[in-house]
Amino acid sequence: MTSFHSIGNQQSTEQRVRQRPVERRPLRSPWRWRRSPALLLMTAALLSAMPAPSQTQITPPPIDRSLANQTVPIAVPYPTLNAVPAAAITDELFGPLTRDLAISGVFSLVPLPPGAGITPEVAKRAGAQQILYLSIAYSAPAPSSSTAPQASPEFVIEARLYDSTGVSGLARSYRGPAAALTRMAHIIVSDLVRQFNGKPGIFLTQIAFVSDRDGHPEIYLMNYDGGNQRRITFHNSISVLPSWSPDDERLVYTSFARKTTDMYIVNRNGGGRIRLNTGLNLNTSATFSPVGHDIAFVGSVAGNPDIYLIRDDGTNLRRLTTTSSIESTPEWSPTGRQISFTSGRSGTPQIYVMDSEGANVRRISFEGEWNDDASWSPDGESLAYTSRVDGRFQIRIMSLVTGQSRIIAGEGSNEQPGFSPDGRFLVFQSNRTGKWQIYRARVDGSDVLPLTFVGENKDPDWSKKMP
Amino acid sequence: MSNVKFGSLIATIALAAILPAACKHKTPPPPKVIPSTLETPAPVVAPPPVETTTSPTAVQAPVDFVREEPKVTAEVLPNDIEDLNRAAQTRGWVQDAFFSYDESTLTSEAQAALGATATWLKSHPDISLLIEGHCDERGTEQYNLALGDRRANIAKEYLATLGVDAGRIKTVSYGVERPFDPGHTEQAWAKNRRDHLVLAGAGR
Repeated sequence: MTSFHSIGNQQSTEQRVRQRPVERRPLRSPWRWRRSPALLLMTAALLSAMPAPSQTQITPPPIDRSLANQTVPIAVPYPTLNAVPAAAITDELFGPLTRDLAISGVFSLVPLPPGAGITPEVAKRAGAQQILYLSIAYSAPAPSSSTAPQASPEFVIEARLYDSTGVSGLARSYRGPAAALTRMAHIIVSDLVRQFNGKPGIFLTQIAFVSDRDGHPEIYLMNYDGGNQRRITFHNSISVLPSWSPDDERLVYTSFARKTTDMYIVNRNGGGRIRLNTGLNLNTSATFSPVGHDIAFVGSVAGNPDIYLIRDDGTNLRRLTTTSSIESTPEWSPTGRQISFTSGRSGTPQIYVMDSEGANVRRISFEGEWNDDASWSPDGESLAYTSRVDGRFQIRIMSLVTGQSRIIAGEGSNEQPGFSPDGRFLVFQSNRTGKWQIYRARVDGSDVLPLTFVGENKDPDWSKKMP
Repeated sequence: MSNVKFGSLIATIALAAILPAACKHKTPPPPKVIPSTLETPAPVVAPPPVETTTSPTAVQAPVDFVREEPKVTAEVLPNDIEDLNRAAQTRGWVQDAFFSYDESTLTSEAQAALGATATWLKSHPDISLLIEGHCDERGTEQYNLALGDRRANIAKEYLATLGVDAGRIKTVSYGVERPFDPGHTEQAWAKNRRDHLVLAGAGR
């Protein structure tokens, strides 16, 4: 942890605690036992699949295959400030940027000696293979018209990445208002990570959830790190169980706004709300198909909840399960070919999987007398679900390949797990503090981080794409 | 209020019976000698004091002079739907049904509660009913929403078998969203595993 302290010596204690999740350390790190073989293989595959650099960009340093299972040590000197207040830069740009790098799985932060004037040579001696220079300035925005009122100045951030030989691997400028500083940090790290492994990472992903902080349970969104929490529904009723569309532009959820439970679809900015009229009761646990326009949900006729499909324009209602038992909580596999769900047909709620046409039903969970909330990993090989163990609900991750499962231990009840779009993290809800809050952890259960603090918060759903 | 009148009538009659007797015995009766084997004289027992009130003499109403119309008392019934529900719950017109853990079958107590409800509903065909299915917190949110739906419908079906028109009954599942008791004890959970019956006013 000393590395972070010396890099971000202006960060708060809380930030240092949050930064603990450095996934990949150099081999000499005592933490290296944490690496999972799957992640190492994935990184190796990603590195080998790196796209050819375009002509306009300087070639990134060649990848040493023997280092493929390691992260890239990167040094980020505190930025040069040109008459810019340091507090805003530290809290809203430098802090989020270094935290993003720390959990990227691609880079590891290198401790730097204190003081300004970090040259590439200094960084190299400190062990860095890459060094990221940030330069920040104010700039008046380009006038849209001569009569328009003068807009407030914008930040211009220049990011330049050099390798230890001084060759530039990335040079970009980012411009935005003060309110966009954190978003700029996430974009910079996305660009850096994409530069190295071809994929942008989860730094611009969002988590939808339910909070009662404003009096009623409503739908909210937040950044993947808990930042920018904002409300998008205003029913003044009970609204629950949001779920992202595959393009992350819309959400489907259930609201009690009409004294009964209805499905609604709303744009990510809160506009364009429509209600889906199914003619059924319940209309809960709605979830978009990753392909096409279908929504799977729980509908009920005469007290018999079953899994149904409906198109997102409210047409073409289909029933997938026909048993007299309770069926609930459908979730599509990443390919859209299968649907997991919860059924009480055995006498207790258990996880089942069927084809997306309703055939080939098979039971997945056998341990525990109450299992629910199944969610697929992005590679389709695992299910995370809520499983009662010794009277408490815990997150269980089951491999659909081997049938083996493991519990992610935690205090209190832990429910409604969901994977990050890169499959490396889980989001879930826990009442370990006495109130329901939303947490993020690695899929191995380490580095649990609370994301919400105000009111009761639940029903997290991670956006699907990596923008 | 008829009780008050009846009471005063009794009092008047009793007074009329006492008054003539009281006039005859203006002096206290001689002390009774109580035969005793003891040497000490028996204590003199004082007579109870007699009330000599000066209340006006009761006037006997003329018989068969005017025949009063039978007394009718009117009471304002709760008209506002919230007042109606409050009255229905406190007076037991409608009664909530409670369930066992992870169960949606009606216990005999639940059947009795719904039986009383059916009786009242059948005599009030103008009022419709909403059955809210609720669950305790010891389950998952999504499955409990489905369980609450089943609980609400089992009560609806039972009321229908008792002769209540099912078209008057709507159901909604709240799952674990609206616990009656926010506690985390078996006592609280037992309260929260219920069908809450809400009168929904006239019409359907």
